[in-house]
Amino acid sequence: MATENAQTPLLQLENVRAGYGEAVVLDGVSLSVPEGGSLAVLGRNGVGKTTLLLTIMGFVNLMQGTVRFAGRDISGAPPHKRARAGLGWVPQERDIFASLTVEENLTATARAGQGNAGRWDLSSVYDLFPRLKERRANMGNQLSGGEQQMLAIARTLMTNPSILILDEPLEGLAPIIVEELIAKIGAMAKDEGMALVLVEQHAEVALGLTDQAIVIERGVIAHAAGSAELLKDQATLDRYVGLNLEGE
Amino acid sequence: MIGNLAIVLFDGLAFGMLLFVLSVGLSVTLGLMNFVNLAHGAFAMLGGYVTVLVTRELGLPFLWSLPAAFIVAALVSVGFERTLFRRLYRAGELNQVLFTIGLVFAASAAAAYVFGTAQQPIQLPQFLRGVTEFAGLRFGSYRIFLIIIALVITGLLVLGLEYTRFGAQIRAAVDNQRAAQGLGIDVDTVFAVTFALGSGLAGLGGALAIEMVGLDPSFGFHYLVYMMIVVSVGGLGSIAGSFVAASLLGIADVAGKYFVPDLGAFMIYLIMIAVLFLRPQGLFGKR
Ligand SMILES: Nc1ncnc2c1ncn2[C@@H]1O[C@H](COP(=O)(O)OP(=O)(O)O)[C@@H](O)[C@H]1O
Ligand SMILES: [Mg+2]
Repeated sequence: MATENAQTPLLQLENVRAGYGEAVVLDGVSLSVPEGGSLAVLGRNGVGKTTLLLTIMGFVNLMQGTVRFAGRDISGAPPHKRARAGLGWVPQERDIFASLTVEENLTATARAGQGNAGRWDLSSVYDLFPRLKERRANMGNQLSGGEQQMLAIARTLMTNPSILILDEPLEGLAPIIVEELIAKIGAMAKDEGMALVLVEQHAEVALGLTDQAIVIERGVIAHAAGSAELLKDQATLDRYVGLNLEGE
Repeated sequence: MIGNLAIVLFDGLAFGMLLFVLSVGLSVTLGLMNFVNLAHGAFAMLGGYVTVLVTRELGLPFLWSLPAAFIVAALVSVGFERTLFRRLYRAGELNQVLFTIGLVFAASAAAAYVFGTAQQPIQLPQFLRGVTEFAGLRFGSYRIFLIIIALVITGLLVLGLEYTRFGAQIRAAVDNQRAAQGLGIDVDTVFAVTFALGSGLAGLGGALAIEMVGLDPSFGFHYLVYMMIVVSVGGLGSIAGSFVAASLLGIADVAGKYFVPDLGAFMIYLIMIAVLFLRPQGLFGKR
């Protein structure tokens, strides 16, 4: 994927082959996200979107290629070091810590950030998601789906990442919550310049929130384009993303 | 009769508190980290021998030997955890059992080689010897000391696990290792520290045990049985469970031996069978 940006990209994958054990899921994947940039990752169920994020975070077997972050080769770094370096991953299953309260979920892994250090703390994430403040004393397993997603995003923000990596954050949520999350993710990406990787099956939403996009098809990048451009390219969208009738 | 009952309850509680200090670390490693560490008994024995060395060979006071027993057992256990145990985290439970019980055999043989098979007596400071009179009853001073230490440890453990950031990180890592790592927790280190604290407590328990139940190379095996009973009756991973189970078993053991001498030694097994029959997951266990 071409970026016109001359400076070193914030996040860059080069010719990545990755998978589980011996099984190859992603092959020949290259992409880059500049500082403050945003990338939509589209594709049907099971094509390897989550695996791509797990590769970035270091949870799967990287067989070939490199992952670079902020100019450093992090291909061999363990996940916790990548998180500390500023990769802000929000897992698809949300993975809220069930035996921690909402507030503990937020504080247990909180860190001052690298660049924009200290932008996010308890009061600013509670301002972003007032619902979490009301639920602060609840245990992690007593939340609705929408609250869990808010908490998962807020928990990652508390690590003050330099890039937010979201895996289908709108999946399975009520429309009103979806609206709220879209507005807030948009505000972070567009207004505050937080770099963003957004995996999403709803192409229109993802393309509206990002400036670049890739489409994954069976583990390879089948298409890469500017988000605005791809939004108008109905033929390509139909071909690779479809009408999303599979649901889940 | 009432007086006897009070003393029996008190002695039982003191024995229970000893069992608690010995067992709580095992409950944590077994319940939180899913690692079956039968070598816990060997770390307890190690703590006992550290106290013997520190008081007899170095001539230092008994109270000084207690932190030494904790620290040595913690450090040695971390050495084993980093080099050997961690390779077994993903191995089956049978492998963990076989390996760690092997370590107890090895530790027992090593202790017999270095210290001989005899009981190891130690010198207690004056204020821990004898009895303290209260309401006309005579309570063993050492047992009072034991109860106080166990209560302090319980308080510290609960505070540490429930109210500190490190405690929250332990619980997070147990809940979901992958998410914890992905948010920047160094799960390996968190588990290693947790493991060290648990083993350190075993070492402290071993040191405290000498005065009450003696110390010889079979300690690791003998008390492993008690530890397993405390953990299974209390429920895996529950500090409160270990505390209640240890108190119950300590009192039952002492009371059984006092009131029904013929049955006494079996009392704890009867309680274990009864509890596990009614609640297979233990009193405070979640699974
Ligand atoms: N833990 C795993 N072990 C083996 N294969 C897996 C695992 N997780 C996912 N896969 C496989 O990898 C492929 C891509 O999955 P995934 O990245 O989750 O897709 P997506 O997020 O695009 O829906 C699928 O074929 C899936 O079956
Ligand atoms: Mg997925």
